[in-house]
Amino acid sequence: MNAVIRTEHLVKRFGRVTALDRLDLEVARGETHGFLGPNGAGKSTAIRVLLGMLRSDEGRAELFGADPWKDAAELHRRLAYVPGDVALWPGLTGGETIDLLGRLRGGVDKRRRDELLERFDLDPRKKGRSYSKGNRQKVALVAAFAADVELLLLDEPTSGLDPLMGAVFNECVKEAAAAGRTVLLSSHIMSEVEALCDRVSIIRKGAIVETGTLAEMRHLSRSRVRATLKTPARGLEDHEGVHDLRVDGLDVECNVDAGALDDVLARLAAAGVAGLVCEPASLEQIFMRFYGDELAAKGVQEGNGS
Amino acid sequence: MSTAAAEIEDGLGTLAGTGKLLRFQARRSRVYLAGWIAGLAGGTWSVAAAFPGLYPDAAGRASYAVTVNTPAMRSMTGPETYIAAYPGSTGAMFSHQMILWTGALTAVMFILLMTRLTRADEETSRSEVLRSNPIGRRADLAAALLLSGAAAVALGAAMALAAAGLPGGQGGSAVLFGLAHTAIGLSFAGVAAVAAQVAGYASTANGLGFAVLGWAALTAGVGNAQGNWAVWLSPIGWSQLTYVYTPEQRWWPLACAGALAVCAVAAAFALVTRRDFGQGMVAGRLGRPEAKPGLRSATALTFRLTKGVVWAGVIAMLLLGAAFGSVLGSADEMIEGLSEAERALLQQGGASIEENVAATFTAIDAIFATLFGLLVVGRARKEETQGRGELIASAAVRRAGWPGSYLPAALWAATAATAAAAVFVALAGAGSTGDGSFFGTLVYGSLLQLPAVWTVTAFAFAAYTWLPRLGWLRWLAWVWVFVVAYFGNLLDLPGWAKAISPFDHLAAYPAEEVDWAAAGLVTLVAAALSVLGYLGARRRDLHFS
Repeated sequence: MNAVIRTEHLVKRFGRVTALDRLDLEVARGETHGFLGPNGAGKSTAIRVLLGMLRSDEGRAELFGADPWKDAAELHRRLAYVPGDVALWPGLTGGETIDLLGRLRGGVDKRRRDELLERFDLDPRKKGRSYSKGNRQKVALVAAFAADVELLLLDEPTSGLDPLMGAVFNECVKEAAAAGRTVLLSSHIMSEVEALCDRVSIIRKGAIVETGTLAEMRHLSRSRVRATLKTPARGLEDHEGVHDLRVDGLDVECNVDAGALDDVLARLAAAGVAGLVCEPASLEQIFMRFYGDELAAKGVQEGNGS
Repeated sequence: MSTAAAEIEDGLGTLAGTGKLLRFQARRSRVYLAGWIAGLAGGTWSVAAAFPGLYPDAAGRASYAVTVNTPAMRSMTGPETYIAAYPGSTGAMFSHQMILWTGALTAVMFILLMTRLTRADEETSRSEVLRSNPIGRRADLAAALLLSGAAAVALGAAMALAAAGLPGGQGGSAVLFGLAHTAIGLSFAGVAAVAAQVAGYASTANGLGFAVLGWAALTAGVGNAQGNWAVWLSPIGWSQLTYVYTPEQRWWPLACAGALAVCAVAAAFALVTRRDFGQGMVAGRLGRPEAKPGLRSATALTFRLTKGVVWAGVIAMLLLGAAFGSVLGSADEMIEGLSEAERALLQQGGASIEENVAATFTAIDAIFATLFGLLVVGRARKEETQGRGELIASAAVRRAGWPGSYLPAALWAATAATAAAAVFVALAGAGSTGDGSFFGTLVYGSLLQLPAVWTVTAFAFAAYTWLPRLGWLRWLAWVWVFVVAYFGNLLDLPGWAKAISPFDHLAAYPAEEVDWAAAGLVTLVAAALSVLGYLGARRRDLHFS
C-alpha cells in the first residue's frame, strides 16, 4: 500500500456538466506530484472529492487507502490543504486563523509557526477582512506548512504571491519533500512544477491524459535541435522522426522525436558539425502538445513564442 | 490622455459612468427589490383587505379606540390623533397600527440595500472591477442613491395601491400613505449612505444604520406615549405625523424626511472622495496575534462567529421585553372600553386581562427571539457561499461537526434571546402591574415558549442542510408563525393553517393551565427536525465558491 492518493475511473457530474470523466490519478508516498491543467479542467473538483467535500458519482477515490467521503475527519488529521482562493473570516486575525486550523489538526508547533510567519513576511495581527489575496494565501500556507502532516494538498497555492514569496514557497515545498511528506501541487505555472515535482499528471476535460516523471515525458517528447553544419545535410527532409524542419544555408533547425535522435545526430555528424544545441522539451511544450488542438481551434499556433 | 479619461475630467467629472452603473446595479438587485416590495406591499394589502370586515361599524372601532389609548399601547402604535379618528375612519385605525412596523421594515430594506450596493461590493472587490473602468469616483454612490430613490418611489406606489381600498380617507389618503413609506425609505437610504462612508467595514455600516433605526423607533415610541415633541426626532415619526386617513391629514411633515435625505446625501458625497477605496473614515484596528486557548474546535469557531448575533438578540429582546412588560400595567384600562362580549372572550377560563395579555406578549416575544436563531442558520450558508468553510471542511472535523455546529449555535442564540425577553418582560411587567408575584409567572410563561422556538430554529437548520439554495424557506416559516400569532384571530385563519405554527399548540399560560403533553410533543418535533438536519449535513456535497 504505497499510494497515498489513488483514484480509479472517478466521475463527478454537476447537473449536465461532467467535471471529472473517469479520472485515474495515483500519487506515491513521499513524492511531490504536479497536477497540471488549465482552469476548468477539473483540478479543484478532483481535490475536493479527495477531501470528501464532494461525493463522487462513479468510480473510486482513496486517500491513505481509505474512503475520503466516509472517513473524512480521520483522514484530514493527516493532511493539510491550501485552496486556490482562500477566504478568511473577516473578524478573525491571521494569527487566530492559523492557530485554529493547527489545533483542529491536533496542535500547533509555535516555533515553526513563528518561523514561517517571518519567512512569509506576514503580520498575524491583521483581521481577515483587511488582508490582500496574496496575504490570505500566506495565512493558509503558513497553517499548512506548520502542520505536522503526511500529505499536503496545494491547489494553485501561489496564484497571488509575488516572485519573492514564490521562492519562499518553493523552499518550503522542498523542505516538506525532504521531510518525507507527500505533496500534490496543482498548478498552471510550469516553471514551478518543473522545479519542484518528481512526477506530473496532466488533466484535460476531467481525465488524466499523461502521467509520469518529467524524464519519461521528455523521452516521449521531441527535442529541439539547432545546428550549424560544415556541408549541407542530407536525408533530413523526408526523415520520419524530423518535424518542423527549417534550413537556412548551413543552419538547420528542427524538432526530433526521442527515438530518432541518434539517427539524426549521426546524419548531422556525417555532414560535419560546427555548432550544436539540443534542448529537451520543456514541460510547457509537453503540456501544449495535449492542448494543441484546443489552441489551434482558437487560432493560436502551437509552439508560438517558445 | 486617453479619450475615456478626458471624458471623466470634463463635464460630469466624478459622476461619469453613473448611468451604466445604475443599469448594472438595477439588474443585480432586481430580485432583492422585487422581493421586498412585494412582501411589504403584499403583507400590507392582506391586512388592509381584512380590516373593514373585522371592524365594520363605528361603535366597534370606538370601543377599540379606548383600549388602545394608553401610553404603552400608543408607544407601540402611533399618535393619539389617529385614535380620535378611529370611529370615523377604518383607514386611520389601519395606519395607526401599521406605519410603525411597515416603516421599520422599510428602513431595514433600505439600510441593507445601500450597504449592499456600496461597501459590501467593495469588500468582495466586485466593484474594483467596475472602478477600473472609466467611471468617476462618486459614480457608484450616485448610482446606489438613484436606485434607492427609484426603489423608494416604487415601494410608495405599491403601498399606496395596497391601501387604496381602505374606507375613511379623503382625497389622496392612499397616495400619502405610500409617500409616508417613500419618505422613510429615502431617509434611511441617506443615513446608510453616510454610514457606508464612515464605517470601517460593511457589517459596521449595517450596524450604524440599525442603530439609527433603533433611535427612530425609540423616539417615536416615547413621543407617542407621552404625546410630546420627541416623535419629531424620528424619521418614522414624521410619517406618523402626517395623520393620514384622519380629518387632520397633512403632507408637510414629510418635508423633514426630504431635508434629512438631502443633507445625508450631501454629506455622503462629500465624504466619499475623502476616503480610500475599501476603507472607511474610521480605520479597522489590529487584533490579537494568537488565538485564545478556547478557540480549538469548529464548534468554538461557530460560537465565536455568531457571538454578535447572540448579543444583538439579547439586547433587542431585552428592550422588546421591557416594552411589552411596561404595557401590562395598563391592561386594566383597556378593559373599561370593552363590550361584554369582548370581555367574555378575553376572560375565558376565568383568567384576568393581565394574564391573557401576558400570554400573548410572551408568545410574541418568543417569536421575535426565534429570528436570531434563524439569523445564525443564515450564517452557515454564508460560510459556504463565501468559501470560508472550505478551510474548516478540510480540517479534522466531522461533517456533522461543521455545518452541524450551527444548530447548537442557532438554538443557543434563540434561547438566549428568549431568556433575555423573559427576564425583562417579567421585571417590567411586575413593576407596571405592581404585583411582584407576576415576575415568576412571566419568566415561567416566556420559557414555556422554548419548545416552539426550538422547533422553528431546527426547521430552519434542516431546510438549510437539505435545500441550501432555498434560503427563503426559513423566512417563510417565520413569517407564517408571526402571522398566525399576531393576526391569526384578527384575520380569522382556519384551524389547520394555524396548526402549522408550533406556537399555536402551546397553552396560553398564564391564561390557561400548562399543557405538558403539547409542550413535550412540540419538543419531540424539534428533536426530530434536528436529527433530520444532521442527516442532511452528513449526506450532501459542500459547495464553496
